[in-house]
Amino acid sequence: MNNFFKNLAKNEFYKKLLSEPLTYVAGAVLLSLFQIAHFAIFKSGWGVTGAFANWGAWLFQLVGGDVSDWGYFASASRQKTLEGGFLNDGGSIRNLGIMFGALLSTLLASQFKLKQIKALRQVVAAILGGLMMGYGARLANGCNIGALFTALGSWSLSGWVFAAFMLVGAYIGSKLLTKFFM
Amino acid sequence: MSTSQEATSAPPTSRISRSRAPKKPKKSQIPFGILLVGVLIALGIFFQGKSSELATYWVFGLAFGYILQRSRFCFTASFRDPCISGGTSITRAVLVAIAITSIGFAGIKIGAGGALDMAGVNPIGLPMMVGGVVFGIGMVIAGGCASGTVMRVGEGFVMQMLSLFFFVVGSLWGAHDMGAFWDKFNVNAPRIYLPHAVGWFWAVVIQFGIILMIYMAAVKWQEKKLGSRE
Amino acid sequence: MQEHELDCMGEACPVPLIKTQKKMEGMAVGDVLIVHIDHSCAVKNVPEWARTQGYNVEIDDVDDGEWDIVIEKTK
Repeated sequence: MNNFFKNLAKNEFYKKLLSEPLTYVAGAVLLSLFQIAHFAIFKSGWGVTGAFANWGAWLFQLVGGDVSDWGYFASASRQKTLEGGFLNDGGSIRNLGIMFGALLSTLLASQFKLKQIKALRQVVAAILGGLMMGYGARLANGCNIGALFTALGSWSLSGWVFAAFMLVGAYIGSKLLTKFFM
Repeated sequence: MSTSQEATSAPPTSRISRSRAPKKPKKSQIPFGILLVGVLIALGIFFQGKSSELATYWVFGLAFGYILQRSRFCFTASFRDPCISGGTSITRAVLVAIAITSIGFAGIKIGAGGALDMAGVNPIGLPMMVGGVVFGIGMVIAGGCASGTVMRVGEGFVMQMLSLFFFVVGSLWGAHDMGAFWDKFNVNAPRIYLPHAVGWFWAVVIQFGIILMIYMAAVKWQEKKLGSRE
Repeated sequence: MQEHELDCMGEACPVPLIKTQKKMEGMAVGDVLIVHIDHSCAVKNVPEWARTQGYNVEIDDVDDGEWDIVIEKTK
Protein backbone atom coordinates (compact mmCIF):
# COMPACT_ATOMS: atom_id res chain seq x y z
CA MET A 1 0.00 0.00 0.00
CA ASN A 2 2.71 2.42 1.05
CA ASN A 3 4.57 1.64 -2.16
CA PHE A 4 1.55 2.50 -4.26
CA PHE A 5 1.35 5.97 -2.73
CA LYS A 6 5.09 6.44 -2.99
CA ASN A 7 4.93 5.70 -6.70
CA LEU A 8 1.92 7.96 -7.02
CA ALA A 9 3.93 10.77 -5.44
CA LYS A 10 6.59 10.28 -8.12
CA ASN A 11 4.09 10.38 -10.98
CA GLU A 12 4.79 13.49 -13.02
CA PHE A 13 1.11 14.43 -13.39
CA TYR A 14 0.50 14.03 -9.68
CA LYS A 15 3.53 16.18 -8.97
CA LYS A 16 2.41 18.94 -11.33
CA LEU A 17 -1.17 18.86 -10.13
CA LEU A 18 -0.87 18.33 -6.41
CA SER A 19 2.59 18.50 -4.95
CA GLU A 20 5.17 20.72 -6.63
CA PRO A 21 5.08 24.31 -5.41
CA LEU A 22 3.37 26.79 -7.69
CA THR A 23 5.23 29.92 -8.67
CA TYR A 24 4.46 33.11 -6.75
CA VAL A 25 2.80 34.60 -9.82
CA ALA A 26 0.59 31.52 -10.28
CA GLY A 27 -0.41 31.91 -6.63
CA ALA A 28 -1.16 35.60 -7.22
CA VAL A 29 -3.40 34.84 -10.19
CA LEU A 30 -5.32 32.09 -8.36
CA LEU A 31 -5.76 34.17 -5.19
CA SER A 32 -7.05 37.06 -7.31
CA LEU A 33 -9.60 34.89 -9.11
CA PHE A 34 -10.98 33.56 -5.83
CA GLN A 35 -10.89 37.04 -4.33
CA ILE A 36 -12.95 38.39 -7.23
CA ALA A 37 -15.45 35.51 -7.01
CA HIS A 38 -15.68 36.14 -3.25
CA PHE A 39 -16.53 39.79 -3.85
CA ALA A 40 -19.10 38.90 -6.50
CA ILE A 41 -20.85 36.41 -4.22
CA PHE A 42 -20.68 38.10 -0.81
CA LYS A 43 -20.53 41.78 -1.88
CA SER A 44 -17.50 42.09 0.36
CA GLY A 45 -13.85 41.18 -0.06
CA TRP A 46 -11.75 38.65 1.80
CA GLY A 47 -10.66 39.44 5.34
CA VAL A 48 -8.98 37.45 8.08
CA THR A 49 -8.57 39.43 11.28
CA GLY A 50 -12.12 40.66 11.82
CA ALA A 51 -13.05 37.17 12.98
CA PHE A 52 -10.12 37.15 15.42
CA ALA A 53 -11.77 39.91 17.45
CA ASN A 54 -14.86 37.71 17.74
CA TRP A 55 -12.70 34.75 18.78
CA GLY A 56 -11.21 36.98 21.45
CA ALA A 57 -14.65 38.02 22.65
CA TRP A 58 -15.80 34.40 22.86
CA LEU A 59 -12.69 33.35 24.78
CA PHE A 60 -13.18 36.35 27.06
CA GLN A 61 -16.77 35.28 27.69
CA LEU A 62 -15.58 31.76 28.49
CA VAL A 63 -13.48 33.09 31.35
CA GLY A 64 -16.36 35.25 32.58
CA GLY A 65 -15.65 38.47 30.69
CA ASP A 66 -18.28 40.74 29.20
CA VAL A 67 -17.94 42.80 26.02
CA SER A 68 -21.56 43.96 25.76
CA ASP A 69 -20.73 47.57 26.65
CA TRP A 70 -17.71 47.85 24.35
CA GLY A 71 -18.12 50.40 21.60
CA TYR A 72 -16.47 48.09 19.06
CA PHE A 73 -19.11 45.36 19.44
CA ALA A 74 -22.06 47.77 19.76
CA SER A 75 -23.41 47.50 16.20
CA ALA A 76 -26.38 45.22 15.60
CA SER A 77 -24.52 43.06 13.10
CA ARG A 78 -21.57 42.45 15.45
CA GLN A 79 -23.97 41.65 18.29
CA LYS A 80 -25.71 39.14 16.08
CA THR A 81 -22.39 37.50 15.11
CA LEU A 82 -21.33 37.24 18.74
CA GLU A 83 -24.65 35.66 19.71
CA GLY A 84 -24.52 33.22 16.79
CA GLY A 85 -21.24 31.72 17.93
CA PHE A 86 -18.22 30.33 16.08
CA LEU A 87 -20.06 27.81 13.91
CA ASN A 88 -22.42 30.43 12.48
CA ASP A 89 -19.78 33.06 11.70
CA GLY A 90 -18.73 33.00 8.04
CA GLY A 91 -15.43 34.76 8.75
CA SER A 92 -14.50 32.18 11.38
CA ILE A 93 -15.39 29.29 9.10
CA ARG A 94 -13.34 30.86 6.31
CA ASN A 95 -10.32 31.07 8.63
CA LEU A 96 -10.83 27.46 9.65
CA GLY A 97 -10.90 26.65 5.96
CA ILE A 98 -7.52 28.36 5.41
CA MET A 99 -6.04 26.18 8.14
CA PHE A 100 -7.44 22.95 6.70
CA GLY A 101 -6.70 23.95 3.11
CA ALA A 102 -3.04 24.41 4.04
CA LEU A 103 -3.03 21.10 5.92
CA LEU A 104 -4.52 19.33 2.90
CA SER A 105 -1.88 20.85 0.64
CA THR A 106 1.00 19.65 2.83
CA LEU A 107 -0.47 16.17 3.29
CA LEU A 108 -1.05 15.63 -0.43
CA ALA A 109 2.55 16.69 -1.02
CA SER A 110 3.57 14.33 1.82
CA GLN A 111 5.38 17.16 3.60
CA PHE A 112 3.58 17.49 6.90
CA LYS A 113 5.68 17.76 10.01
CA LEU A 114 4.93 19.12 13.45
CA LYS A 115 7.51 21.83 13.95
CA GLN A 116 8.29 22.29 17.61
CA ILE A 117 9.44 25.47 19.27
CA LYS A 118 13.10 25.06 20.12
CA ALA A 119 14.19 28.35 21.66
CA LEU A 120 12.83 30.83 24.17
CA ARG A 121 13.34 33.67 21.69
CA GLN A 122 10.75 32.02 19.42
CA VAL A 123 8.22 32.08 22.27
CA VAL A 124 8.90 35.76 22.91
CA ALA A 125 8.69 36.53 19.19
CA ALA A 126 5.40 34.67 18.81
CA ILE A 127 3.81 36.40 21.81
CA LEU A 128 5.05 39.90 20.97
CA GLY A 129 4.41 39.56 17.26
CA GLY A 130 0.97 38.08 17.79
CA LEU A 131 -0.10 40.83 20.19
CA MET A 132 1.20 43.58 17.93
CA MET A 133 -0.49 42.14 14.85
CA GLY A 134 -3.80 41.75 16.67
CA TYR A 135 -3.73 45.27 18.07
CA GLY A 136 -2.51 46.83 14.83
CA ALA A 137 -5.03 45.03 12.68
CA ARG A 138 -7.95 46.30 14.75
CA LEU A 139 -6.70 49.90 14.50
CA ALA A 140 -6.15 49.60 10.76
CA ASN A 141 -9.42 47.74 10.20
CA GLY A 142 -7.66 44.78 8.64
CA CYS A 143 -4.38 43.04 7.92
CA ASN A 144 -2.43 42.35 4.76
CA ILE A 145 -5.62 40.93 3.36
CA GLY A 146 -8.44 43.23 4.51
CA ALA A 147 -6.60 46.54 4.69
CA LEU A 148 -4.17 45.86 1.85
CA PHE A 149 -5.19 43.24 -0.73
CA THR A 150 -8.96 43.80 -0.52
CA ALA A 151 -8.70 47.58 0.00
CA LEU A 152 -6.38 48.02 -2.97
CA GLY A 153 -8.53 45.82 -5.16
CA SER A 154 -11.48 48.01 -4.08
CA TRP A 155 -9.74 51.14 -5.43
CA SER A 156 -9.44 52.55 -1.93
CA LEU A 157 -6.61 55.03 -1.49
CA SER A 158 -6.28 53.75 2.08
CA GLY A 159 -4.57 50.60 0.78
CA TRP A 160 -1.54 52.51 -0.51
CA VAL A 161 -1.29 54.58 2.67
CA PHE A 162 -1.51 51.41 4.76
CA ALA A 163 1.19 49.79 2.61
CA ALA A 164 3.53 52.73 3.17
CA PHE A 165 3.13 52.64 6.94
CA MET A 166 3.42 48.89 7.01
CA LEU A 167 6.68 49.09 5.08
CA VAL A 168 7.99 51.36 7.84
CA GLY A 169 6.89 48.76 10.38
CA ALA A 170 8.45 45.91 8.38
CA TYR A 171 11.74 47.82 8.23
CA ILE A 172 11.75 48.38 12.00
CA GLY A 173 10.70 44.77 12.52
CA SER A 174 13.56 43.52 10.33
CA LYS A 175 16.07 45.46 12.41
CA LEU A 176 14.58 44.14 15.65
CA LEU A 177 14.52 40.60 14.29
CA THR A 178 18.16 40.51 13.25
CA LYS A 179 19.17 42.10 16.54
CA PHE A 180 17.10 40.21 19.11
CA PHE A 181 15.39 37.20 17.56
CA MET A 182 18.14 35.40 15.66
CA MET B 1 11.02 30.43 -12.29
CA SER B 2 13.32 27.50 -12.21
CA THR B 3 13.27 27.29 -8.42
CA SER B 4 9.81 25.88 -8.23
CA GLN B 5 10.51 22.96 -10.50
CA GLU B 6 13.20 21.51 -8.31
CA ALA B 7 12.01 22.59 -4.92
CA THR B 8 10.56 19.31 -3.74
CA SER B 9 12.63 16.65 -5.39
CA ALA B 10 16.35 16.28 -5.66
CA PRO B 11 17.65 16.17 -9.21
CA PRO B 12 18.57 12.67 -10.37
CA THR B 13 22.24 13.33 -10.64
CA SER B 14 24.15 15.24 -8.05
CA ARG B 15 26.79 17.69 -9.17
CA ILE B 16 27.90 18.74 -5.73
CA SER B 17 29.98 16.18 -3.90
CA ARG B 18 29.13 15.75 -0.25
CA SER B 19 28.79 13.12 2.42
CA ARG B 20 25.26 11.82 2.77
CA ALA B 21 23.45 10.17 5.63
CA PRO B 22 21.46 7.10 4.58
CA LYS B 23 17.84 8.00 3.89
CA LYS B 24 15.23 7.11 6.44
CA PRO B 25 12.41 4.93 5.13
CA LYS B 26 9.46 7.20 4.42
CA LYS B 27 5.80 6.67 4.95
CA SER B 28 3.58 8.40 2.44
CA GLN B 29 1.17 10.97 3.87
CA ILE B 30 -1.06 10.88 0.82
CA PRO B 31 -3.54 8.41 2.42
CA PHE B 32 -4.04 10.88 5.26
CA GLY B 33 -4.60 13.58 2.67
CA ILE B 34 -7.28 11.48 0.97
CA LEU B 35 -8.86 10.79 4.36
CA LEU B 36 -8.84 14.52 5.06
CA VAL B 37 -10.66 15.23 1.79
CA GLY B 38 -13.49 13.05 3.12
CA VAL B 39 -13.54 14.93 6.41
CA LEU B 40 -13.55 18.29 4.65
CA ILE B 41 -16.48 17.24 2.45
CA ALA B 42 -18.38 15.98 5.50
CA LEU B 43 -17.79 19.31 7.22
CA GLY B 44 -18.95 21.06 4.06
CA ILE B 45 -22.20 19.10 4.16
CA PHE B 46 -22.57 20.01 7.83
CA PHE B 47 -22.14 23.73 7.05
CA GLN B 48 -24.49 23.42 4.07
CA GLY B 49 -27.08 22.09 6.50
CA LYS B 50 -26.76 25.30 8.53
CA SER B 51 -26.77 27.62 5.53
CA SER B 52 -25.40 27.57 2.01
CA GLU B 53 -23.64 30.87 2.72
CA LEU B 54 -21.63 29.21 5.46
CA ALA B 55 -20.69 26.32 3.16
CA THR B 56 -19.51 28.83 0.55
CA TYR B 57 -17.31 30.58 3.11
CA TRP B 58 -15.88 27.15 3.95
CA VAL B 59 -15.03 26.44 0.31
CA PHE B 60 -13.38 29.84 -0.13
CA GLY B 61 -11.35 29.35 3.05
CA LEU B 62 -10.11 25.97 1.85
CA ALA B 63 -9.22 27.42 -1.54
CA PHE B 64 -7.32 30.37 -0.05
CA GLY B 65 -5.44 28.11 2.37
CA TYR B 66 -4.58 25.59 -0.31
CA ILE B 67 -3.34 28.25 -2.75
CA LEU B 68 -1.34 30.12 -0.10
CA GLN B 69 0.45 26.92 0.94
CA ARG B 70 0.97 25.50 -2.55
CA SER B 71 2.53 28.68 -3.87
CA ARG B 72 4.28 29.56 -0.56
CA PHE B 73 2.59 32.93 -0.96
CA CYS B 74 3.52 35.25 1.87
CA PHE B 75 2.35 38.84 2.20
CA THR B 76 4.82 39.33 5.03
CA ALA B 77 7.72 38.39 2.78
CA SER B 78 6.59 40.92 0.18
CA PHE B 79 7.37 43.69 2.67
CA ARG B 80 10.14 42.02 4.65
CA ASP B 81 12.37 40.50 1.97
CA PRO B 82 13.17 43.84 0.31
CA CYS B 83 14.27 45.07 3.76
CA ILE B 84 16.33 42.01 4.65
CA SER B 85 17.69 40.21 1.61
CA GLY B 86 16.76 42.60 -1.19
CA GLY B 87 14.69 39.95 -2.98
CA THR B 88 11.48 41.28 -4.51
CA SER B 89 10.01 38.35 -6.45
CA ILE B 90 7.15 37.95 -3.98
CA THR B 91 6.62 41.73 -3.86
CA ARG B 92 6.12 41.71 -7.60
CA ALA B 93 3.68 38.79 -7.35
CA VAL B 94 1.60 40.76 -4.82
CA LEU B 95 1.49 43.68 -7.29
CA VAL B 96 0.22 41.29 -9.96
CA ALA B 97 -2.51 40.14 -7.57
CA ILE B 98 -3.50 43.74 -6.83
CA ALA B 99 -3.65 44.58 -10.53
CA ILE B 100 -5.87 41.59 -11.42
CA THR B 101 -8.14 42.12 -8.42
CA SER B 102 -8.55 45.83 -9.24
CA ILE B 103 -9.84 44.94 -12.68
CA GLY B 104 -12.25 42.31 -11.37
CA PHE B 105 -13.57 44.48 -8.55
CA ALA B 106 -13.99 47.43 -10.93
CA GLY B 107 -16.27 45.31 -13.11
CA ILE B 108 -18.37 44.20 -10.16
CA LYS B 109 -18.56 47.70 -8.66
CA ILE B 110 -19.58 49.33 -11.93
CA GLY B 111 -22.07 46.52 -12.58
CA ALA B 112 -23.67 47.11 -9.18
CA GLY B 113 -24.45 50.69 -10.19
CA GLY B 114 -22.96 52.39 -7.15
CA ALA B 115 -24.36 50.12 -4.42
CA LEU B 116 -20.93 48.57 -3.75
CA ASP B 117 -18.78 51.64 -4.33
CA MET B 118 -17.67 51.98 -0.72
CA ALA B 119 -17.22 48.24 -0.08
CA GLY B 120 -13.66 47.60 1.08
CA VAL B 121 -12.85 51.31 1.32
CA ASN B 122 -11.21 52.16 4.64
CA PRO B 123 -10.85 55.53 6.38
CA ILE B 124 -7.38 57.06 6.15
CA GLY B 125 -6.84 58.19 9.70
CA LEU B 126 -4.36 58.11 12.55
CA PRO B 127 -5.46 54.63 13.75
CA MET B 128 -4.66 53.14 10.35
CA MET B 129 -1.19 54.70 10.31
CA VAL B 130 -0.35 53.60 13.84
CA GLY B 131 -1.92 50.22 13.18
CA GLY B 132 0.06 49.77 9.98
CA VAL B 133 3.41 50.34 11.68
CA VAL B 134 2.52 48.15 14.68
CA PHE B 135 1.20 45.40 12.42
CA GLY B 136 4.29 45.60 10.21
CA ILE B 137 6.65 45.13 13.15
CA GLY B 138 4.56 42.28 14.53
CA MET B 139 4.34 40.28 11.32
CA VAL B 140 8.10 40.33 10.74
CA ILE B 141 8.89 39.27 14.29
CA ALA B 142 6.25 36.52 14.34
CA GLY B 143 7.23 35.22 10.90
CA GLY B 144 3.86 35.58 9.23
CA CYS B 145 0.87 37.89 8.96
CA ALA B 146 -2.72 36.92 9.61
CA SER B 147 -3.31 34.67 6.59
CA GLY B 148 0.26 33.36 6.84
CA THR B 149 -0.07 32.53 10.53
CA VAL B 150 -3.33 30.65 10.02
CA MET B 151 -1.82 28.80 7.06
CA ARG B 152 1.30 27.83 9.02
CA VAL B 153 -0.82 26.52 11.88
CA GLY B 154 -2.24 24.13 9.30
CA GLU B 155 1.30 23.26 8.23
CA GLY B 156 2.16 22.21 11.77
CA PHE B 157 4.11 25.14 13.21
CA VAL B 158 3.79 25.16 17.00
CA MET B 159 5.33 28.65 17.14
CA GLN B 160 2.56 30.00 14.92
CA MET B 161 -0.11 28.32 17.06
CA LEU B 162 1.18 30.36 19.98
CA SER B 163 1.35 33.44 17.81
CA LEU B 164 -2.26 32.89 16.66
CA PHE B 165 -3.47 32.71 20.26
CA PHE B 166 -1.82 36.02 21.07
CA PHE B 167 -3.05 37.44 17.77
CA VAL B 168 -6.57 36.75 19.06
CA VAL B 169 -5.76 38.29 22.45
CA GLY B 170 -4.28 41.35 20.73
CA SER B 171 -7.35 41.63 18.52
CA LEU B 172 -9.60 41.77 21.55
CA TRP B 173 -7.35 44.36 23.17
CA GLY B 174 -7.31 46.37 19.94
CA ALA B 175 -11.09 46.09 19.60
CA HIS B 176 -11.49 47.42 23.13
CA ASP B 177 -9.14 50.37 22.60
CA MET B 178 -10.60 51.07 19.18
CA GLY B 179 -14.07 51.58 20.66
CA ALA B 180 -12.81 53.41 23.73
CA PHE B 181 -10.18 55.67 22.21
CA TRP B 182 -9.03 55.38 18.60
CA ASP B 183 -12.44 55.56 16.95
CA LYS B 184 -12.70 59.29 17.50
CA PHE B 185 -9.80 59.88 15.09
CA ASN B 186 -11.72 58.09 12.37
CA VAL B 187 -14.81 60.32 12.59
CA ASN B 188 -13.35 62.94 10.28
CA ALA B 189 -10.90 60.68 8.47
CA PRO B 190 -11.49 60.61 4.71
CA ARG B 191 -12.70 57.42 3.04
CA ILE B 192 -11.40 57.86 -0.46
CA TYR B 193 -12.75 55.72 -3.27
CA LEU B 194 -10.48 56.75 -6.13
CA PRO B 195 -13.09 56.70 -8.94
CA HIS B 196 -15.32 59.05 -6.86
CA ALA B 197 -12.49 61.37 -5.99
CA VAL B 198 -10.93 61.81 -9.42
CA GLY B 199 -13.11 59.92 -11.91
CA TRP B 200 -12.38 56.55 -13.49
CA PHE B 201 -9.80 57.82 -15.98
CA TRP B 202 -7.49 59.32 -13.39
CA ALA B 203 -8.23 56.51 -10.96
CA VAL B 204 -6.88 54.03 -13.50
CA VAL B 205 -3.87 56.25 -14.16
CA ILE B 206 -3.11 56.56 -10.43
CA GLN B 207 -3.77 52.93 -9.48
CA PHE B 208 -1.84 51.33 -12.32
CA GLY B 209 0.76 54.10 -12.28
CA ILE B 210 1.58 53.26 -8.66
CA ILE B 211 1.61 49.52 -9.39
CA LEU B 212 3.95 50.01 -12.34
CA MET B 213 6.24 52.38 -10.43
CA ILE B 214 6.60 50.02 -7.48
CA TYR B 215 7.11 47.10 -9.86
CA MET B 216 9.96 48.84 -11.66
CA ALA B 217 11.44 50.03 -8.38
CA ALA B 218 11.28 46.43 -7.10
CA VAL B 219 13.20 45.13 -10.12
CA LYS B 220 15.86 47.83 -9.72
CA TRP B 221 16.07 47.26 -5.97
CA GLN B 222 16.76 43.54 -6.39
CA GLU B 223 19.34 44.21 -9.10
CA LYS B 224 21.12 46.62 -6.81
CA LYS B 225 20.97 44.39 -3.72
CA LEU B 226 21.40 40.95 -5.26
CA GLY B 227 22.87 41.70 -8.66
CA SER B 228 20.17 39.72 -10.43
CA ARG B 229 16.58 40.18 -11.56
CA GLU B 230 15.62 36.56 -11.24
CA MET C 1 37.10 21.74 0.08
CA GLN C 2 35.30 21.83 3.38
CA GLU C 3 31.80 20.82 4.31
CA HIS C 4 29.78 23.04 6.66
CA GLU C 5 26.43 22.37 8.25
CA LEU C 6 23.69 24.67 9.44
CA ASP C 7 20.74 23.54 11.51
CA CYS C 8 17.61 25.59 10.79
CA MET C 9 15.05 23.05 11.98
CA GLY C 10 12.01 24.68 13.52
CA GLU C 11 13.02 28.15 12.35
CA ALA C 12 10.50 30.37 10.58
CA CYS C 13 11.25 32.84 7.81
CA PRO C 14 13.44 34.77 7.42
CA VAL C 15 15.78 33.23 10.00
CA PRO C 16 17.03 30.37 7.76
CA LEU C 17 17.87 32.79 4.95
CA ILE C 18 19.73 35.25 7.17
CA LYS C 19 21.68 32.45 8.85
CA THR C 20 22.59 30.97 5.48
CA GLN C 21 23.78 34.33 4.18
CA LYS C 22 25.95 34.90 7.25
CA LYS C 23 27.41 31.41 7.10
CA MET C 24 28.21 31.66 3.39
CA GLU C 25 30.08 34.92 3.93
CA GLY C 26 32.62 33.22 6.14
CA MET C 27 33.20 30.28 3.82
CA ALA C 28 35.97 29.82 1.30
CA VAL C 29 35.35 29.36 -2.43
CA GLY C 30 34.74 25.69 -3.16
CA ASP C 31 33.25 24.98 0.26
CA VAL C 32 29.88 23.32 0.55
CA LEU C 33 27.14 24.28 3.00
CA ILE C 34 24.35 21.92 3.98
CA VAL C 35 21.33 23.66 5.48
CA HIS C 36 18.89 21.44 7.37
CA ILE C 37 15.43 22.90 7.03
CA ASP C 38 11.81 21.98 7.77
CA HIS C 39 10.06 25.17 6.64
CA SER C 40 8.40 24.87 3.24
CA CYS C 41 8.79 28.58 2.47
CA ALA C 42 12.50 28.55 3.27
CA VAL C 43 12.98 25.68 0.82
CA LYS C 44 11.89 28.17 -1.78
CA ASN C 45 13.59 31.39 -0.69
CA VAL C 46 16.99 30.04 0.38
CA PRO C 47 17.71 28.34 -2.99
CA GLU C 48 16.25 31.38 -4.76
CA TRP C 49 18.72 33.65 -3.01
CA ALA C 50 21.64 31.27 -3.58
CA ARG C 51 20.88 31.14 -7.30
CA THR C 52 20.85 34.94 -7.57
CA GLN C 53 24.39 34.76 -6.18
CA GLY C 54 25.33 32.28 -8.89
CA TYR C 55 26.02 29.41 -6.48
CA ASN C 56 25.26 25.77 -7.25
CA VAL C 57 22.22 24.62 -5.35
CA GLU C 58 20.66 21.23 -4.77
CA ILE C 59 17.67 20.26 -2.68
CA ASP C 60 17.55 16.88 -1.02
CA ASP C 61 14.35 15.37 0.36
CA VAL C 62 15.42 13.96 3.70
CA ASP C 63 12.08 13.10 5.23
CA ASP C 64 8.46 14.22 5.14
CA GLY C 65 8.67 17.97 5.53
CA GLU C 66 12.45 17.95 5.96
CA TRP C 67 15.00 19.05 3.44
CA ASP C 68 18.73 19.51 3.04
CA ILE C 69 19.72 22.44 0.90
CA VAL C 70 23.20 21.93 -0.46
CA ILE C 71 24.95 25.10 -1.59
CA GLU C 72 28.36 25.18 -3.20
CA LYS C 73 30.20 28.49 -2.97
CA THR C 74 31.45 28.76 -6.50
CA LYS C 75 32.89 32.25 -6.37
